[in-house]
Formats: sequence, structure tokens, C-alpha cells
Amino acid sequence: MPCERKPMRYGHSEGHTDVTFDDTGKFIVTCGSDGDVRIWESLDDDDPRSINVGEKAYSLALKKGKLVTAGSNNTVQIHTFPEGDPDGILTRFTTHATHVAFNHSGSRVAAGSSDFMVKVVEVADSSQQKTLRGHDAPVLSVTFDPKDEFLASASCDGSVVIWKIDEQTKVTSWPVLQKSNDVSTAKSLCRLGWQPKTAQLLAVPVGLKVHLYERDSWEHVSTLSDDMITQPINVVAWSPCGQLLAAGSVGGFLTVWNAESKLCVERQKHEKGYTVCGLAWHPSGRQMAYTDTVGSLGLLDDLPTASSATKTPKAPAVKAANDYDDLFDEDDDRAMDEGLSDTHSPAKRPVAGGDDDDDDDDDDLVPATGRVKNRGSFLDDENSLDAVSLALGQGKYGGGDDDDDGGTVAPPTGPPLPLRPAYEGPLPTPPQKPFQPGSTPAHLTHRFMTWNSVGVVRGYNDDQDNAVDVEFHDTAVHHAMHLTNALGHTLADLSQEAVLLACPATDELASKLQCLHFSSWDANKEWIVDLPAGEDVRALVLGRGWAAVATSARTLRLFTVGGVQKEMFSLPGHVVSMAAHGEQLLVVYHRGTGFDGDQALGVQLLQLGRRKRQVIHGEPLPLSCKAHLAWLGFTAEGTPCYVDSEGVVRMLNRSLGNTWTPVCNTRETCKGKSDHFWVVAVHENPQQLRCIPCKGSRYPPTLPRPAVAILPFKLPLCQTTTEKGQMEEQYWRSTLLQNHYSFLSSSGYEIDDEGQNQNQKEQQELLMKMFALSCKLEREFRCMELAELMTQSVVTLAVRYASRSRRMNLAQRLNELAMEKANQLQEEQEQEEEVEEVQEEEQRTPRSRYGQRESAGGHSSSRPRQAREEEPRGEEEDDPQETETLEADGESRKRLNPFARGAAASPEKPSPKPMSKEGRVNPFKVQGSGKSPSQSRVSNVLDSMTSVRRPAPLGGPSGKQSKGPVLKPLAPKPKTKMQSTLLQMATSKAANKKAQVNPEPAADRLKQPEVPPPDSPVEDSENKKPRTGFQLWLEENRKSILADSPDLQETDVIKAAMGSFRGLSAEDRLSWTERAKGQSGEAADLKKRKRAEEAGEGDTDEESRVKADENIAKKKKSLDTTAKLSAFAFNKN
Amino acid sequence: MDPAEVEFLAEKEIVKIIPNFSLDKIYLIGGDLGPFNPGLPVQVPVWLALNLKQRQKCRILPPQWMDVDKLEEVREMERKEDSFTPPPSPYYMELTKLLLNHASDNIPKADEIRTLVKDIWDTRIAKLRLSADSFISQQEAHAKLDNLTLMEINTTRSFLLGSLNCMFKLRSNMQPGTSTGKGPDY
Repeated sequence: MPCERKPMRYGHSEGHTDVTFDDTGKFIVTCGSDGDVRIWESLDDDDPRSINVGEKAYSLALKKGKLVTAGSNNTVQIHTFPEGDPDGILTRFTTHATHVAFNHSGSRVAAGSSDFMVKVVEVADSSQQKTLRGHDAPVLSVTFDPKDEFLASASCDGSVVIWKIDEQTKVTSWPVLQKSNDVSTAKSLCRLGWQPKTAQLLAVPVGLKVHLYERDSWEHVSTLSDDMITQPINVVAWSPCGQLLAAGSVGGFLTVWNAESKLCVERQKHEKGYTVCGLAWHPSGRQMAYTDTVGSLGLLDDLPTASSATKTPKAPAVKAANDYDDLFDEDDDRAMDEGLSDTHSPAKRPVAGGDDDDDDDDDDLVPATGRVKNRGSFLDDENSLDAVSLALGQGKYGGGDDDDDGGTVAPPTGPPLPLRPAYEGPLPTPPQKPFQPGSTPAHLTHRFMTWNSVGVVRGYNDDQDNAVDVEFHDTAVHHAMHLTNALGHTLADLSQEAVLLACPATDELASKLQCLHFSSWDANKEWIVDLPAGEDVRALVLGRGWAAVATSARTLRLFTVGGVQKEMFSLPGHVVSMAAHGEQLLVVYHRGTGFDGDQALGVQLLQLGRRKRQVIHGEPLPLSCKAHLAWLGFTAEGTPCYVDSEGVVRMLNRSLGNTWTPVCNTRETCKGKSDHFWVVAVHENPQQLRCIPCKGSRYPPTLPRPAVAILPFKLPLCQTTTEKGQMEEQYWRSTLLQNHYSFLSSSGYEIDDEGQNQNQKEQQELLMKMFALSCKLEREFRCMELAELMTQSVVTLAVRYASRSRRMNLAQRLNELAMEKANQLQEEQEQEEEVEEVQEEEQRTPRSRYGQRESAGGHSSSRPRQAREEEPRGEEEDDPQETETLEADGESRKRLNPFARGAAASPEKPSPKPMSKEGRVNPFKVQGSGKSPSQSRVSNVLDSMTSVRRPAPLGGPSGKQSKGPVLKPLAPKPKTKMQSTLLQMATSKAANKKAQVNPEPAADRLKQPEVPPPDSPVEDSENKKPRTGFQLWLEENRKSILADSPDLQETDVIKAAMGSFRGLSAEDRLSWTERAKGQSGEAADLKKRKRAEEAGEGDTDEESRVKADENIAKKKKSLDTTAKLSAFAFNKN
Repeated sequence: MDPAEVEFLAEKEIVKIIPNFSLDKIYLIGGDLGPFNPGLPVQVPVWLALNLKQRQKCRILPPQWMDVDKLEEVREMERKEDSFTPPPSPYYMELTKLLLNHASDNIPKADEIRTLVKDIWDTRIAKLRLSADSFISQQEAHAKLDNLTLMEINTTRSFLLGSLNCMFKLRSNMQPGTSTGKGPDY
């Protein structure tokens, strides 16, 4: 190749430099940030003369023995050349000048400065200055029109301006550059070049290209570009002949174009790729000197002259016609050209003089990647040079394969293969790469290697540091760790016990698995395992006490957390991701090839406890359309869960044959289209989706530290804007997220009974609401369907609701359903009881925990009975309710306190709320009473219904009220009572329970002042259902009362009746009471006594002890909190 | 009222923290706080946040307004308007000081924020002085200033009132008998 690049040599200290030749071409003159101007006789001059011009020299210009420099002392100085004596100061700025330039004749100097001004000064008389104002930012460069008429300047404000020097006005301006604040931050120095001699063209480096503007019209006439140039061009310089234009770029590329043909005639690369910031042609046009930003000086020798450069493009055609060998050479050259630059640039190099040159050129230019192959092919050709046919083939090859990127240049085997018929079916999707849940992509220098519910593992891989940071959310688990990542780990997982890291295999080292078992109690907290050769870790996960690693050989290896190798098995496909929770392992792998953007993933769920089994046997993993897996994990409660790239969160539904239910779409809550939520954890109780909102990206950056946000779940049910849809969604969400209770209890974990009860209660409430809503909408069939979902006790409520809203047909059907459910319940109970009785026998030894459970069972068993007794009575009777509550009130005052906690803890509410568990856990349930009340109660419901219907004034208002969709109207019968409130009801229950346990309430009751004395005898009959003395009396006397005052309402009648009943003499009342007792009291009393006996025997001791325990526990707990609090407030360490 | 008291009041403001410990709800006179889950943001008053921070028990998330872009906007507004613009927070100065002094490592671009808040503060105080000046020079009896924060009122109150009193005395001495309408006695 024609041009010889001389090795670079040290010129100045690191920083901006500038270079020029003197007029004769004898000297190279450079300046640099060390403030020196050096005069080199040649590049090999080991002792250049130095002139110090200041602290820094920004630019220099040399003409006619005058050396003009722009220094850091805000002046433009003149020195004589070559002596280097100071010759005064040409001009001053308020800040330093950035570029100086002579005009063609050397009579004037233009200087651009950072204070936005350009000055044109006469060299002979520095007082003659012209100032060009108009730039809005520091001036980057200036250049004179060779005809001395105009001046061009480029500035950081992004504009290139042509000035008329004499008038000091702007002629035109092109806003073509990138704006910047300062010369030091500008992308390009943008040294302009005005074509010498003809002065027709102005070259402006704009980004990767050079724009040529025409004089006078000031139009953009052409653009010079080259695909090799990948970074902005810094400098341009015209050859002295005015036909070639050289450019130096930030990346260190030097390019020479022929301005006429727009062809690139020369390309060179800076040997170290440093930014070229100074460029100057030798006056002969055969050499070019350049300097870079590290202060080195370089030289290109033997540059093509303009004439030779213009000739070359035509050469090949001529030669090709003559000589195949030449053609061959040419094509080879060409292929190589394509190879190195990936271009179709019109560039043509002059035909090679010799192979040595070519090789040199290779060394200089070929990017490392394509190089070896190119060279290979080249040598190949060399060997077969004499074979004309081969050469022809090669020629064809070179011609037909222009588009090839050159990296695949193959030995010349023959003509290219015919085209295959195009395939027009669904296209396979590239399989998604394996990933760790909660990690950001591995190519980032700062990334999350994992973020889970335990903590965060961050990886840093930049120039200074290759490290892993482990941080725990809860510092109580372990303190934060900082590890140097010598092995180059890319995968990490974190659990409460250990940190697991793994690195891929390198050429020398096998893939390694490193575990920091920080919870180990011995001194060895770390182990490392090498994987067999050829096996790479693809995914890893830590469970409780074990670790699993999936490798590129499609095996899954299990380790204990201490490092013992355990089972291993093969996976059906390449692993995508794994997750673990306790003893569960969830593996997702490629099941096959997906098409049209879909992934074909399979999932396995294994139990690795003592009883190992596979729960999900490699079934397909459902994903959204064209989505891939984005996160895989378990909820905190242990339900498998995953998120796909469309933001849909799906959860395993164990109660529906291990199907996957979408529970949330995170994209719906995103504000922007490109915003995403990066899920880090899922909790079922409370229902939380913990994720990190990422604005405009899929992953969060490590800095600033992202904050976790909480999203609610929302099942994508239809019409969730309507009340019905909302309630349905709520119901099914609650049901779905309750599944974990049964799973946990089945796998032997302790479960939060209270939470579960709460959950069930909420569900039943929702069902009841939906029932009421459907009732309102006259959808009786739907009501029936809803009732099927209810528990038996709630069905009875529904029956009452239906009867009150006068839907007899519905009530009838519901009643049947209730009966059915009751029978079912009965059977279950019987079975359970048998089991429990056996247990009871076994566990006679009083353990406190068991006792507690017993008492809890006692509560729940007595409550429903109580409820059953109250329900019907509430409807058909009026006054006993009052007496009962009053009595209960009195009693509860004394007895409430010790019980307070128990009462509060039991989830019962004043209204007879649904308790699905009711009766199920009931060790004290009497067989007979279990059977009969539920039966009698069912019939009672219907009885009550009819009785409600009979006294119209009673049923009327309640019927009206119950129209509402809410539960309230069902809340028991307050309207018929005179005084009882909900609170009293509640206490009455508690008290009644008490009464059963301690059969000594009579004395207490007597002391009660509120209880009207006449009522006290009646109370004995509190628990019997049918009649009281007052009622009997009322029945007989109603007519007379009504006759007295016919316009009374039912309630008023009762009030009046009550008044007159009290007015009776004690004997009379007693006799009425006696009559009432005689009628119906016996049965109820009997029952009560029986129960009291039962409970009293075994339970009093135990129960009181439990109460005491509870009290102590309570105290303890409060103490605990205070202790914590005080530590909190005062412990300032 | 001295600045310390104002700062005390500011400590009641709520900030979000990310605790690194786990604690159940705590029941305080001022209301319930928590529960504290490690890694999960929770809202607590500033005094608690700072206390926890000092014991390295949490990371403080800067309040929404404590953001360079937002503060720059506020500053520009403040400079543009002649009257007081609504402050970013009623306790912006106090909170900035408290949080930046104790938790500057948790707040991105802490230095810039400090400068910006100081700029806003200076602008507002300058306005306040200006309005006090015109108030006195025009011998007004009353004036209304909106959007002042407690701290700002506090900085100017003692001096303004004192000087008004002083001037009143001087004026009433200069013009005996015509003491009415020269400015109210504070």
C-alpha cells in the first residue's frame, strides 16, 4: 500500500495537542498541554527545540516566520520562528483562546475564544482588530477564506458561521453541530477546513461525516463519509493541492478523500486508537503529521497524490480485461476490503504493489475479528495462484458474495450453493436463556444477582472491582458481606442459611459452585465444588437444608447445605429457572421449541422432604401470548408462583388439580407503556405482591437503591366494575389464597387458625352478600347456586333471608339444601368424633396446649348451640329476650373480665355470623344434642317463617328492611326487642356459657338492680323454647288490651301488656309462670342441666387454669412490648 | 418559639423507611406504627426514622419532594413569582436539615438538594425581608402573607416585632401628641 505509517513518538505530556508544518516543510511544529512548542526537524529528531509559551498551549499557527500560539494566560502570543523569541502579544481575551489561524498571506490572524468571540488581528499592527460577535458558546475553531473575504468559525452552540470579515457580519450560519457547554466537553473539536487555491469548498466535520459547503451559494453540496469511521471527526485538513481532504476522528481513524470523486483514497488507524486532535499536511502533499490527545506525534509518509488518487478507480477494469491474475488480486483485495469494513463504501485502494504491503495493511487495518480468516483465505489463494480456473472461481466468489460480511470467507470450493426454497410456516422462537429469579441481566456491570425475600446479592464487575455484595433485609439473619469475586460468579441465590454462588466454566477452570454456609455452627463456613468437565451451572437454588443446581448437561444435582452430594436426576430439557421453598423444588425447563414467539416450557414440582415425590410431572407451563418467563418463585406461604414478561402473575391452584390461576396483571397498574414491575416476592397472607416499579425499563438499576412497592392481587374476572363482579372476584381470590392453609397443614406446618377462620368468615360473608344481591335482582336460581357454596349455618341464614323477603319457593329449596348440608355435616362430625374420642382417650394426660384446644373447642361448640336456641326464639318471642339479656347483662358484668381475652380472641361476632368450622371440632358435643337441635332447628326455621308471616306488623318492617343487599337486616331481630342491644347479645352469650359451667347464678341475679323483681322467677325458664308465663298471660289478655286501645302497634301492645302484667299481684304472676313451666319447661331444663353437668365436671378446673394461663400470657406479652419499646427509645448504641 | 421547637414539630412529619429488622406493630400515644418487615417500606414519623437510622436499623427513603428536578422547579417558580409559592413541604427546611444531616447516604444527590433547598430558603427569606421592608416603609397597619412556613415566620418574628416596637417608640417621641396611625403597637 502506498502510504507508510511511521510509529508514533512522544511529543508532549498528555492532553490536547496541535501540529503544523512550517512553510518550507522542513520542520514539524507541535504544541501541547505542557505549554511547550516543539520544533522537530523530522519525526526521528531526538532533540527537538522547545519554546515555552505558557502553562498550556491550545493551538498554534505558523506562517512567514511568525509563530502564533493560543495560551492558557488568555493571550495570543507571537514568537519568531525558528528562533523562538517572544515577539509580543497579539491580542487578549477574557478567557483562553481555543484556536488560532493565519490567513493565506500570513498578514492576519484569526483567533476564537471561549468567551464566545472571534477576533481578526493584523499581525503587523495588533491594534487593528476586528471582533466578530454572535456565537452563544465557546468558539471551537476558525478558518480563513483563502481569498481573505470570509471567515468561518464553529462554536459549541452548534453552529458553523460564515462571517464577512470587513463588515464583521454574519453571512450565513448552519446549526449542524452538536451543542455542548465547553470546548473540553464538545464531542468534536470541529476544526474547519477551507479549500486552498480555489477556495470553493468549506469542509465541516459533522459527526461521522464531513460536509462540504460551496462558496457564495453556501449550500451543502456533498458529504464525505466512510464506514470505518465510528466516532465523530475531530479535524479536517485540505492537502496543499486542494484536492484531497484528510480527516482525523475521535476513535483515531485517519481518512483521506478525494474531494472531487468523493472516494476514500486512504485510511489509516491510529496505532493505539487515541483521538486525533491535530492534523497537518506537508507542503509537498506527500506527508501528513498528526497528534493525539495523549501527546504523541505521528506521521504518514508517501501519501497518494491527488493525481494518482484520481486515476486508481479506473485501473481495475482495465486490468481485469487483460489479466486474470490481476483480476484475482483485485478481487481478493476487494473481498478483504469488504471483510474489514463491512461496507459498500466506494473506496478503492490503489492496486497493490506487492504482497508485503498487503500484509502490512492487514496489520494496520483489519479489525481483530475478521483478520485471521481473511489472512487464511489470502494465503490459500497465494498457494493456488497459478490455477486459472480456481482464480476464476474465486473471482466469481468475490463478485457474488459482496454482501457477505467477510468473516466467513471460505476456501474456494466452487460456485455458491443454489438458494433453498423459502420456508413459510411458523418460525421457531429462540429459546429463552436460563436466569435466576430476581436477577438483572448478566451483561450489566452493576447488577442484582438475586433479590429475594431474604436479601439482595449484588454483583459489581467494572474496572476497579469485581465483587459480590450480600445484604440481608433483616440484619438479624446475618450482617452484610462483601466478597471479592475472583472466580467470576454470575449466579447467586440466598437463603436464611447460606449464600450459593456459581461461575461458568472457563478454558482452564471447571464450572464451580461455591456455598457460604454462614449459619453453620462449625468453623468452616464455606465449601466449593467443581462440576465435571463440560458441565456448566445454569441455575441454582437454595432450599431449607439443601441446594439444587441445574447444569448444561440437563442434570439436576442436589446437595445438602453442608456440601454433601445427594440425589441427581436428568431434566427433560434445558433448565430455564428454579425456585425453592422449604422442601419444595420447582423447576422450569424447555419442553421443546416454541413457535411464533411462544416459549414451550415445562414445569416440575418436587417434594424433597423425608417422603420424596413429584407433585407436578413436567406439565406445560402456561404463559401469556408471546411471553417468556420473567420470575419464578414461591409465595411466602409456599405456593408456586411465576410471572411472565407480560406481567401476569400466576399461582398454583392446588384445589383445582394443580392448575395455574392468574392472580394479577402488573402491567395494568403501570403508568407508562414502557414501565414495568419487577417482582421480588409474593405473599398470600396478607395478599401482597412485592415488586419494584421500574420506570421505562424491565429491570431496576442498583443505584439509587430501588424501593419495594406493594401491589394487590386482582383475579381477572369479568365485569369487576359491577358490584357482583367485585364480590365474585373477592370471593374467589380469598378462596384461592386460602389454599395454602390446607397445604401447610397437610405438610405438617403449624397454621394460623385465626387467620384461616377470619378468611372463611370473610368468604361466607361475601357469599351472603352475593346472595342478598341476587335476591334483590330476583335471580332465585342464582341464589340457589350461591347457597351451594355456603356452609350449612350460613344457608340457614339464607333461608331466613329468603323467607323474610317472601320468596317461599326459594326458601323451600334452600331449606332442603340446608337439611342436606346438615346431614352431611352430621356424618362428618360423627366420623370426626369417633376419631377425636380415640384421641381424647390417648391424651388424657393434661397438656396445656391440648387443654387450650379443648377449651377452644368448648367455646365453639357452645356458641352454635346458643345461636340455635336464640334464633327461633328471637322471632316468635318477645319478652323473654329482654329478660334474658338483662339477666345476662348482670352476670356478664361480674364475669366478663377474666374472660375478656377469650371472648375477644374467638372470632364470633354479635350477629349469628357464619362459622363454617362450627361443630366440626367439638370434642364435647353430645351425640343426641348434636343430632336433635340441628334437625329441630331446621324445622324451626320454617316454623318461624310462618309465624313471622302471621303477625303482619312484626314481619312487615323487617321484610322491608331486609331488602338491602347487606347483611345487616339479618343481624338478629333487634326491632322486636325492647332494650337488648347487640352488645348485650354478645355478652349474654358469654354469660350463658358461663351459666352452663357454673350453675350458681341465682344469687347474682337477685342482686341485680336493673332486673325488675317480678321478672326474676320467669328467668328460670330462660332456656326453654316455647312459652313463658307472660306469654301465656298475653295470649289470654291480648284481646282485652286491643279492645282498650285498638290503634296500638304490635310492639306497643306488648309494651302495654308488659305494663299490666307487672301490675298483677305476685301470686298471679307466679301462677302464670307455673302454668308456663308445666307446659313446656321440663324439656329445656333437662337439656340444660345435662349440658351443665358435662361441662362442669371436666371443664371447670381446666378452663380456669386456661384462663389464668391466658392472663399470664397476656401480661407477659404486654411486658414484652414495653421492654421492646423501651429498648427502642433509649437504647442508643 | 425557637427553631429547636419548630424542628421538634417537624419531627412529627411522616417519612418512609425500609427497616432491616422485624417487629410487630407498636402502639404509641400518637398512633400505631408498623408492623416492621425487613425490606418493606413503612411509614413512620421523622423522629423515629432518625433514631432508627442512627442505630443503623433502617434506610430512609427521601420524601417525594426531595428530588433535584422537583426542587429545581420549585426554585424557578419561587424566583419567578413575586409572592410566596407553596413550599414543597410545610417543614421543608427542617426536614432537609434533619434528613441530610443524619441520612445523607440514603438520599441521592444530597449536596445538590442541600444547595437547592438553601436557594429556595434564601429566595423566600429575601422576599420576606422585602415585604417587611415595604410594610414598614409604607407604614401599613396589617399585611397578609400566604404560604409561609412556620420556620420562616419564626425567623423573622422576633426581629420584626422588636423593631416595630422600637420604631413606634421613636416615632411617638418625635411627634408627641400625634401617636395615632403610625403603626400598631405590637
